[in-house]
Amino acid sequence: MAIADFVKSAGESFRVGWKIESNWTDPVLFATYQVIRPLASLLIVAFIVIIGASVGASANSAFYSQYLAWLIVGNAFYAFVLQIMLGMAILVHVDRTRYEVLKNIYISPGTLHPYVIGRGLVSVVNGAVSVILTLLFSVAIFNGLLHMNIPLNLLNVNLLMLLPAVILGIVSLLAIGYMLCAVNIVSNRMEFILGDSVSGIFFLLGGVIFPIALLPSYVQPISNVLPITYLLNAVRESFGLLPTASYMSDLAYLAVTTLVTLIIGIAVFRLAEQRAKKLGLFDRKSEY
Amino acid sequence: MLPKATPREELLINLRAAYARMWVRLRGSNREITGLVAEIGLPILTIGAYVILYRAIGLPPTAGAAVIIGGAMIAFWTNVLWNMSSQWFWERESGNLEMYLVAPVSRMSVLLGMAMGGSVNTSIRALGIVLLGIFVFQVPFQLADPLSIGLVFVLTLVALYTMGMLFASIFMLYGREAWNTANLLQEPVYFLSGAYFPRIYAPVVPFALQAAGSLIPMTIGLDAIRRLAINGEGIATVWPHILALIACTLILFPLARRALNYMESLGKKEGRLTLRWQ
Repeated sequence: MAIADFVKSAGESFRVGWKIESNWTDPVLFATYQVIRPLASLLIVAFIVIIGASVGASANSAFYSQYLAWLIVGNAFYAFVLQIMLGMAILVHVDRTRYEVLKNIYISPGTLHPYVIGRGLVSVVNGAVSVILTLLFSVAIFNGLLHMNIPLNLLNVNLLMLLPAVILGIVSLLAIGYMLCAVNIVSNRMEFILGDSVSGIFFLLGGVIFPIALLPSYVQPISNVLPITYLLNAVRESFGLLPTASYMSDLAYLAVTTLVTLIIGIAVFRLAEQRAKKLGLFDRKSEY
Repeated sequence: MLPKATPREELLINLRAAYARMWVRLRGSNREITGLVAEIGLPILTIGAYVILYRAIGLPPTAGAAVIIGGAMIAFWTNVLWNMSSQWFWERESGNLEMYLVAPVSRMSVLLGMAMGGSVNTSIRALGIVLLGIFVFQVPFQLADPLSIGLVFVLTLVALYTMGMLFASIFMLYGREAWNTANLLQEPVYFLSGAYFPRIYAPVVPFALQAAGSLIPMTIGLDAIRRLAINGEGIATVWPHILALIACTLILFPLARRALNYMESLGKKEGRLTLRWQ
């Protein structure tokens, strides 16, 4: 029964979140909005590689087309990170300060956790839409329009390898988003920094646009404990852009880092909740 | 009936309003050291990723210098979007907009104050980004003509913040659209302005892209600053950029003024100037 209640509350939260995120405009403009940002991010890195190839930098054209495919996939799936981190980092601030409803949500029986999860799932859906559209547009632009023959065949993706990795990755990102909500419950100065900070760290250290082997050696241990690193490895393996031999180990590392993140996320959220209740922070209003 | 203010009195009160708004911006943005540190440190994460990407594909170190300048200029664009364009939206949400509207000053002076405060604040952050970027990534610069760099930089900021004043006017009646539109104008402008490319006006970049990018003053200014600060070129090579930036300002300022008057009048007619939580 408790699980049914949780699912029902999360579903209602998802419904509210979806309306808040999408009904400010018409569906066509909303869909355009969803695709333009990730596509622009992709075009930035793609043009860097194209410019690199044009000035005759170190390698042959096969290297650049292979690298571009590797980069497109990493960049496309990074949309999950951006959507979840930015969405969940601002959630508490918006509901507490702008709409002033966080206290009402909190005093309703057992709704805060499913509420946060439900709102996080909206970001997941937004991220999924961005990923799919970015991949489709990439193939259309680079192979269809520019005839670059990038080795990226969306019909050959191994879904049995892709889906478990994506599901685990999403769980880990939601757990990190949970931590961001927790920090914002006890703080009122971090909401505009946290999402960008975490997504920036993942962009630099997660192997999104270059292999982590290129990072300085003293930073690589940090990359090795981030779920995003293994998520992107496993995703690229399912696209046939990396050797599939290390898929199981990447998936295992992803599972372990996800589990650890989940445990820490729940613990941090509980601590923040207790502290907020003790200090009366659920209805704190702050303005700049 | 109150006596009509002389032009001198009117100018003085508007300048005081601009100064007051600038002071609030300076004070408000610098009171939190975590914010200052984050606004300098966060762009370095993205810049670092691009510098490493450049190295991965074998581009020369000057490309790293270009991306550091691009990253610093992006700080200004972000400021224009979130602290100029969306500002009337924030003010309406916090209940200040009606106070601005009943104050006996031109709304343009309030926008001017925001622009001055924002440009000073962001210059501090941009300088921090450049210095930190040079320190961390050890990229080469050739400052042969610092005065020209300063001139182009100031002209770029004036044109950019004038564009911010225009956007602020257009965004005036936005509800959640303000937030989403500001979000929407981030990455596409990073792309179109060539902030993270070694240079936007390269033969490999399609002409349509260069033309679209040139509608944003930052693109023009950024290219000129890179030529002066990285390639060591002189002012003679960037005079078309200087003319273009001056033209942008001369076109955008009257447009901003007209847009502000129109949106204010529309807001009054539709009763949307005090509408919150849209």
